[in-house]
Amino acid sequence: MEVNRRDFLKIIGIGGATAAMAGCGTQPPESLIPYVVPPEEIIPGEATWYATVCRECPAGCGMLVKTMEGRAIKVEGNPDHPVNRGRLCARGQASLQGLYNPDRIRQPLRKGTDGTWGPTSWEEGEKVLAARLAELKGRGGRVALVTPLVTGSLDRLIDDWLRAVGGGSRLRYEAVSHEPLREANRLAFGVAAVPFYDLEQAELILSFGADFLETWLSPVEHARQFGAMRTYRDGRMGRFAYIGPRLSLTGANADEWIAVRPGTEGVLALGMIHAILAEGLATALPASEEAAFRRLVERWTPVETAEQAGISPDKVRVLARAFARSRPSLAVADGRTSNGTDICLAITLLNYVAGNVGRTVRFGPTAAAGRTSPYREMRTLLQSMEKGEVSLVLLAGVNPAFTLPEGERFRKALEKVPLVVSFASFPDETAMASHLILPDHTFLEGWSDAEPWDGIQGLQQPTMRPLYETRALGDILLSVAKQMGLQQQLPWEDFPAYLKEQWKGLHRQSGPAEDFETFWARALQRGGLFRPVPSRPVRLNPEVFRHRFEAPRFAGESEGLTLIPYPSPIFYDGRTANRPWLQELPDALTQIVWDNWIDIHPADAKRLDVSEGELLRVQSPLGHVELPAHLSGGVRLGTAAVAVGQGHSAFGRYAEGRGANPLPLLPAEPETASGSQPWIATRVLVTRTGRRHLLASTVGSDRPHDRGIIQTIPLAEVQRLRHPEKHPHLLQMYPEHPHPKHRWGMTIDLNACIGCGACVTACYAENNIPVMGKVQVAKGREMSWIRVQRVDEGASHHPEHRFLPMLCQHCDHAPCEPVCPVYATYHNPEGLNVQVYNRCVGTRYCSNNCPYKVRRFNWFMAEWPEPLHLQLNPDVTVRSMGVMEKCTFCVQRIQGGKLQAKAEGRAVRDGEIVPACAQTCPTRAIVFGDLKDLDSEVSQRSKDPRRYRVLEHLNTQPAITYLKKIIAGPVEG
Amino acid sequence: MSDLTYSQVDRDILRAMQAPGRLYYVVFFANLLVLAWGIFAWQYTIYRGLGVWGLTHPVMWAMDITNFVFWVGIAHSGTLISAILYLFRVRWRASVYRTAEAVTVFALLTAGLFPLIHLGRPWFFYWLLPYPQGGGLWVNFRSPLVWDVFAVMTYMIISVLFFFTGLVPDVAVVRNRTTGWRHRFYAFLAQGWQGTDRQWRHYKAAYLFLAALATPLVVSVHSVVSWDFAQSVVAGWHSTIFAPYFVAGAIHSGLAMVITLLIPLRRIFRLDTYLTQTHLENLAKLIILTGLIVGYAYVVETYIAWYSNNVPEWQRFVYQVTGEYAVLFWIMILFNSLVPLLFFVKRIRTSTPWLFGISILINIGMWCERFVIIVTGLAHEYDPYSWGLFIPTWVDISITLGAFAWFFFWFLLFAKFLPVISIVEVKEELPPPMKSTGSEA
Amino acid sequence: MARPSAGLVGSFRHLDSLLEAISRLHQAGYRDLQALSPVPHHAIDEALKKPPSPVRVFTLIGCLLGAATGLVLTIATSLHVSLITGGKPIVSIPPFLIIVFELTILFGGLLTLGGMLLNARLPLVHIVPAYDPRFSEDRFGLWIRCEVRDFDPVTRLLESADAEAVHRVGE
Repeated sequence: MEVNRRDFLKIIGIGGATAAMAGCGTQPPESLIPYVVPPEEIIPGEATWYATVCRECPAGCGMLVKTMEGRAIKVEGNPDHPVNRGRLCARGQASLQGLYNPDRIRQPLRKGTDGTWGPTSWEEGEKVLAARLAELKGRGGRVALVTPLVTGSLDRLIDDWLRAVGGGSRLRYEAVSHEPLREANRLAFGVAAVPFYDLEQAELILSFGADFLETWLSPVEHARQFGAMRTYRDGRMGRFAYIGPRLSLTGANADEWIAVRPGTEGVLALGMIHAILAEGLATALPASEEAAFRRLVERWTPVETAEQAGISPDKVRVLARAFARSRPSLAVADGRTSNGTDICLAITLLNYVAGNVGRTVRFGPTAAAGRTSPYREMRTLLQSMEKGEVSLVLLAGVNPAFTLPEGERFRKALEKVPLVVSFASFPDETAMASHLILPDHTFLEGWSDAEPWDGIQGLQQPTMRPLYETRALGDILLSVAKQMGLQQQLPWEDFPAYLKEQWKGLHRQSGPAEDFETFWARALQRGGLFRPVPSRPVRLNPEVFRHRFEAPRFAGESEGLTLIPYPSPIFYDGRTANRPWLQELPDALTQIVWDNWIDIHPADAKRLDVSEGELLRVQSPLGHVELPAHLSGGVRLGTAAVAVGQGHSAFGRYAEGRGANPLPLLPAEPETASGSQPWIATRVLVTRTGRRHLLASTVGSDRPHDRGIIQTIPLAEVQRLRHPEKHPHLLQMYPEHPHPKHRWGMTIDLNACIGCGACVTACYAENNIPVMGKVQVAKGREMSWIRVQRVDEGASHHPEHRFLPMLCQHCDHAPCEPVCPVYATYHNPEGLNVQVYNRCVGTRYCSNNCPYKVRRFNWFMAEWPEPLHLQLNPDVTVRSMGVMEKCTFCVQRIQGGKLQAKAEGRAVRDGEIVPACAQTCPTRAIVFGDLKDLDSEVSQRSKDPRRYRVLEHLNTQPAITYLKKIIAGPVEG
Repeated sequence: MSDLTYSQVDRDILRAMQAPGRLYYVVFFANLLVLAWGIFAWQYTIYRGLGVWGLTHPVMWAMDITNFVFWVGIAHSGTLISAILYLFRVRWRASVYRTAEAVTVFALLTAGLFPLIHLGRPWFFYWLLPYPQGGGLWVNFRSPLVWDVFAVMTYMIISVLFFFTGLVPDVAVVRNRTTGWRHRFYAFLAQGWQGTDRQWRHYKAAYLFLAALATPLVVSVHSVVSWDFAQSVVAGWHSTIFAPYFVAGAIHSGLAMVITLLIPLRRIFRLDTYLTQTHLENLAKLIILTGLIVGYAYVVETYIAWYSNNVPEWQRFVYQVTGEYAVLFWIMILFNSLVPLLFFVKRIRTSTPWLFGISILINIGMWCERFVIIVTGLAHEYDPYSWGLFIPTWVDISITLGAFAWFFFWFLLFAKFLPVISIVEVKEELPPPMKSTGSEA
Repeated sequence: MARPSAGLVGSFRHLDSLLEAISRLHQAGYRDLQALSPVPHHAIDEALKKPPSPVRVFTLIGCLLGAATGLVLTIATSLHVSLITGGKPIVSIPPFLIIVFELTILFGGLLTLGGMLLNARLPLVHIVPAYDPRFSEDRFGLWIRCEVRDFDPVTRLLESADAEAVHRVGE
C-alpha cells in the first residue's frame, strides 16, 4: 500500500509538465453560456462568470464560478438558486482546491502485476474495462457500481448503462446519510422520503442531534432559514433548543443545550408527547389518534423519561409545553445510534402531535437525500466480494475504504475482485486499492445536473478546460458502451448529448412556451430549472401505534466512555480533507487547525488523570486509535466526541497522517430498521500513552476577560432600546476628516453569525492568502484577514459559545497609520485603511499598535505548490516576504464596482459591491456598503439599537459596527 | 595624584598603548568569532525571513527592539559624564570621561544596527531617511520611528564630534612619540595640533559649546526612544512617565556598563593612580540616585495600573508579575532597584569586587526591563483571542550575542589605539609648574 | 608693516616664567607673540590680552539654521505628501517639534566644530618651525616674530625671564 502510494506520487510528478499548459487556454470551452457576459466578449483581465452546481456534498447548492483567462479563480453562491440563494459554506468555497489540488490524478493509471502504478492511455484503460464487461455480460450480477448520491441525468445514465452492459448491483453510498429519517417517515406515513423542513417558519426549533448548520441535509439552506427565523422582530425571535450529548456548532447557536444520554433523544420526544397529551395541548389531534397516542407513550411519564434521558422531569414538561404552544414549532432529528429509526420516528410523531406536519414538515419537495442506498447494501457487497461473487467493481467518487467501519476489510475484499476500476480524482484509500484508475473530471470541469429537491434541477456546466487528461464519468461509460457495440441501447455521442436529451424532456414538461435552445440557454444562465412543488398531504399510518421503541445498544465495556463520532463541519465525511484552506480553517468550537482530537469532559479527564493535548489510546472492542485529548464541557459526562474526516492513510500531502479516523472503532452491524450505519454505537476505554501532541489552535484566550469585545443583550431588553443608541461621543482633538464621495463601512450582526467560517475561506480564496501549515499556526502566524473569534462565556463545565468575525476595522483614527515611518498605511478618502505592500519596509509597528490585532506579517516567502497557483486572483497582489498585510474590504471589488457604475454612467448601487466575506455569509450577518448613502442597508443597520463598536473607548472610530447578540435564555413553556 | 608630573602622566597613559599581550589577542579573536556567528545569524534571517525569529502575532517586537533600547540606554552615561559633569566642572570627571565617551560612541554604533536588523525588508532601510523618494514621497514625521532616526543619528554625530574633538590634543602627544604608520595615523587625528594659545582658545570654546549641545541630548534621546512605546495604544506602553523613566534607566545601565569596563581597564593598565577608588565610588553614588528613580518609576507604574481602573492595563500588570515572563520581571525589580541600594553601604561601594558584581547585575536587570516592557505589553493586548507568546530561537539569541561582540570589538580596539584617559585634562587637574611655588613638571 | 617671517622661540620650564616673559616683551613693545603650552591656561590668554573666541556665534547660527530647517522640512513635506494618518491633521506641530529640536542640536554641533576649525586654523598641514614636541608634554613655549636686528634684545629679555633655551626660527 505504502509503496504503491509513493510510486503514485512519482507518476503525478510526471503529469506535472502537462499541468502548466493545461490551464493556459484563454478561451472557455465552446458552447458555454456565461452567466453575465456572452463568450465572444471575453477580454483578458475581464472576469467571466459561469453558473454551475456545487458537488462537495449532496446538498446541491447553486454556484457561480468566476473565471479569468479561462481559469476558475473564485466560486460564489448562485443568487438565483433556491437552495442556497447566493451563499456557500467553507467547503463549497474550497472546492477550487479540489480542482487545483497538487495531488490530483492527472492521467489514467494502471497497477502493474507487481503492485506498482504506471501511466496508461485512455484507449487502453477503456479497452480493459470494455473487455472485462463484455466477458461478464450475460453472467449477470457480477458487476457492482458504487457512486455517491448522484442525482439527475448522470444517475439515470448510470442505470441505463448498467442495464445495457448486462446488469449488476448499483449503490448510491453516502457515509453521512439519512436512512433512519426516511425509514421513520415510511413507518409513520408510508412515505419513504426525507421531507422538507421549513425552519424559517418555525417559532421554536428543537434539534434532536440534527446538526443542520453543519452537515445535516442542506446546511447552507438551513443556515439561511435559521438566520431568518432568529431575526429579532417586535419583541420576539424564533427560539431554538439543542438536544443531544454533544454540543455541536449547531448546538452552540441554540438558546439552550439539553445534554441527554446518547440515544435517548427519542425517549425525550415520547415523553414530551406524553406531557403534551397529559396537559391537553394536542389540539390539532383527532380524538381517535389521541387515545392511540396515549397508549403508545403511556410508559414515558415525565419522570420515567427524565430518568432515562438523564435530565430533570420539569425540563420534559417545559419543553413539551413550549413545543405545543409555539405555532408552528419544528423538531428535527438525526438518528445516528443503533435505534436511530426509533428516534426519528419519535420526533416525527412529536411533530405530528404538535400539528407541524404539513406546516413546517412538508412532503413536497422531498430531498434527494432520501434516495441513498442504505449502508446495509455496502455490507452485502463487501461480503459477496469476499465470497468471490463479484468480478468487477466500479467505484466513482466514493471512498468506502475510509468511510466504512470495516474500511480495512473492504480494502482486502477488493483484492479478491479480479478487476476494480476507480474513477477517482484523488489518490484516496479506495483508489489506491483499485487496479485501474480512469480519473473523472472535477465538477468544475464537466457537464452534469443535480436535483437535490424535487423540482430543483441545477445545471452543472464546465467552467474551464480540464486541467489534466481526465474524462467525465458519463463520457467514459458511453465510450465503453460504444466499444461493446451497444450503440442502439446508448446512441448518444457523449454525455452532454445525453444531458441535453434529458433536458428536452424537462422542456416538454415545463410547457414549450419558448423553443428548446432559448430554454436551454436560460437554464444555463440561471443555473438550472427551478419549479415549485406542491406538498402532498400525508396520513398517519395506524400501524405506527404498534411500533415498539427500542433502547440504544452500545458495544464495549459499560465503564467506558460512549464514543460520539460526528461528520466534521469542515471535512464532511473526509472527502475535503485534502484542501489546505480547510485544513487551516479553525474548527469553530476549538479553533484547532490541521488536526483532530477527542473531546473529553473535564470531570472525566480528572477521573482519568488526562490533561489537554495528551495523546490517548482510544480502545473499542473492534480496535484502537491514538488521539490527542481536548478537554471540553461540550460533551456530556461519560461521552467522548471525535470528528470524522481526518486520519487519512492516503489522500495527498495535505490529508495524510493527520489525527486518526474513529470509524474503524465502530461495530459493523447495520441498524436493523433502516439498514443505516450507526455511528454512536460503542463505548471506548481511554488510556494514557504518556506522550504529548501539539494541538495548534488560533486562540490565545477564549474567555471574555471583561473586555466587552463580544457584547450581548437579553431579549427582554432589546425592546427597551427605543432610540438608536448613540455611539458614546468622545471628545475629538481633531476635526472630522472628509470622505468626499464614499465612506465604505460594514455591519456584522452577532445575532445572525453562526460561526461557520465560510467568510474565512472565502477571504482566503479572494485575496490570495497563503496557507502556513500547522507548525506556523501554532506560533500564531496564520495569515487569515478575517477570523471568527469564539469566546466561551459559560460556566466551566457548560460552555456558552459566542462568535465574532474580526477583521480590519478600517478606523477613522487608525492607530496603525501614524506609527508607520514610510506612509505604507494611511486613510484614503473613501474611508479605507489602505496598506501599500510595495512601500512597506516591515517595521511591524502597525501590528503592535493595532488593538484589534488584524494585521498579518509575511514571515516567509509564501508558496503555492503547482497547480494551486493557477487559482490566484489576478486582481490581488501576492505579497512578498517581510511586508505587512490585512483586510482591504476587497478593494479590488470596490474598484471594479465603481468602474462598472462609471462605465454605465450611474452611481454605485447599494449592494452591488460586496466583499467576499459578506458575499458568502449564509445568514447575511455581514453587510457591506456606503455609509454616505443614508438609505443603504449598511447605513440602516448601523442605526440599529443593538449597535456597538469593538473597543470603542480607544476612540479608533471603526468603520465596522457590530450588532449585539440577543440572549433569549432557556426555553420557557 | 597631585604628586604626578606632566611627563609622568604622558608616560603612564601611553603605556597602556604599548603592543598588547597574549591575553588581549585571545580575548579579541574569541570576541571576533562570536561577532561572526552573530553576523551569520543575521544573514540567515535576511535569507529566510523574520520567521526564523521567535516573533509572532501579536508579539512583533521582542529581542530586536530590546537590544536597541538597551544599547541606546548604555550610551547615555557617557554623555552625562563627559558633557553634564563638564559643565558642572566636576573635577573627578577628568580620568573617567574618555572611557565613558567611548562607551557612548560604541553603544550607539551597536544600537544603530537594530532598527536596520529588525526590518522585514532591511534592504529598503534607506526609505526611512528624509530624502525625496519615488513619486515625491517623504517619510512620515508623525511616526515615532522617524523621530528615532533623527534622535539617534543626531546623538551619534554629536557624540562622535565630541569624542574626537576631545581627543585632538591627546593624540598630538601620541603623534610626537610614534613613528611610521602609527605616526601618520595620529598625525591625521591630531590635525596638526600644537597647542598654540590661539588653538587652545577656540578649542576650549568649541568644547564648551559641544558639551552644552550634548547635554539636552542626554535627556531627549531616550525620551524619544521611550515614545516609541508611550505614543502607542498598547496597554503597558501607553504611559506618560515613560520619558523620565527611560532616561533614568538609560543612565542607570550606562553607569553600570562604565563601571563594568573601568574596573578591568584599571587593573590591566595599572591606572590606579588615575582611576582611584573615589572615581568608582562617585559613579556608585550616581547609580544609587538613578536606581532610586527607576524604582520610583516601577512603583508609579504599578500604582497607576491599579488606580486607572483600566481593565486591560491592570490585567496586563497582573500578567507581567505572574505570567510566563514573571521571572524576568522580578529579576528587573531586584537587580535594578533593590541591589543598587547596597551602595548606601560605604564598604560595598568602595570594594571593587562588589562594584563589579553589582554593575553586571544592573546590566542584566536593565536588559530584562526593556524585554519585559516590550514583550509583556504585546503578549497580552486588548483582544484576548489574539494573546500570544514570544519564545526566542537560536537566531534571536545569536544576534543578541553578536551585538555584544560588536560593541566589545570596538572597545578592545579603542583600549589599544587611543589614550583611555584624557592626558590633557589630567594635566589640567595638576598644579601648573611654577618657579614661585617651586612646583615642577 | 609687513609681518616678519623670522622669529625667536623661548622655551620655559615654568608657567610663571612664561607669563613673566610675555609681560616684559609687551612692555618692550613686542606685540606679535604666540604661546605654546601642553595644557590650556587662562592666565596665558589674559597675559596675551586675546579677545574671546567667536565660535559661540557659529553655534548660534547653526542652531537657528537647524530649527528653521526642521520646521520647513516637516511642514513642507507633510503638505506635499498630504496623506491622512490616524485622523491627525496634515500639519501636526507637536511631533514636528521633535524633529526641529534634533536638527537644532545637530546643526549647532556641526557649525561649532566648523567654527573652531576655521578660527583655530585647523587642520594644519605643516607644523610651524617654532613647535617643539615638548610643548605638548611639559614645556611652555613663546614665539616672537621680529626683525633680525631685534634678536639680541629679545633673547636677553627671554633669558632674563628664565627661558631654558632660545632658538631662532624662520629666516
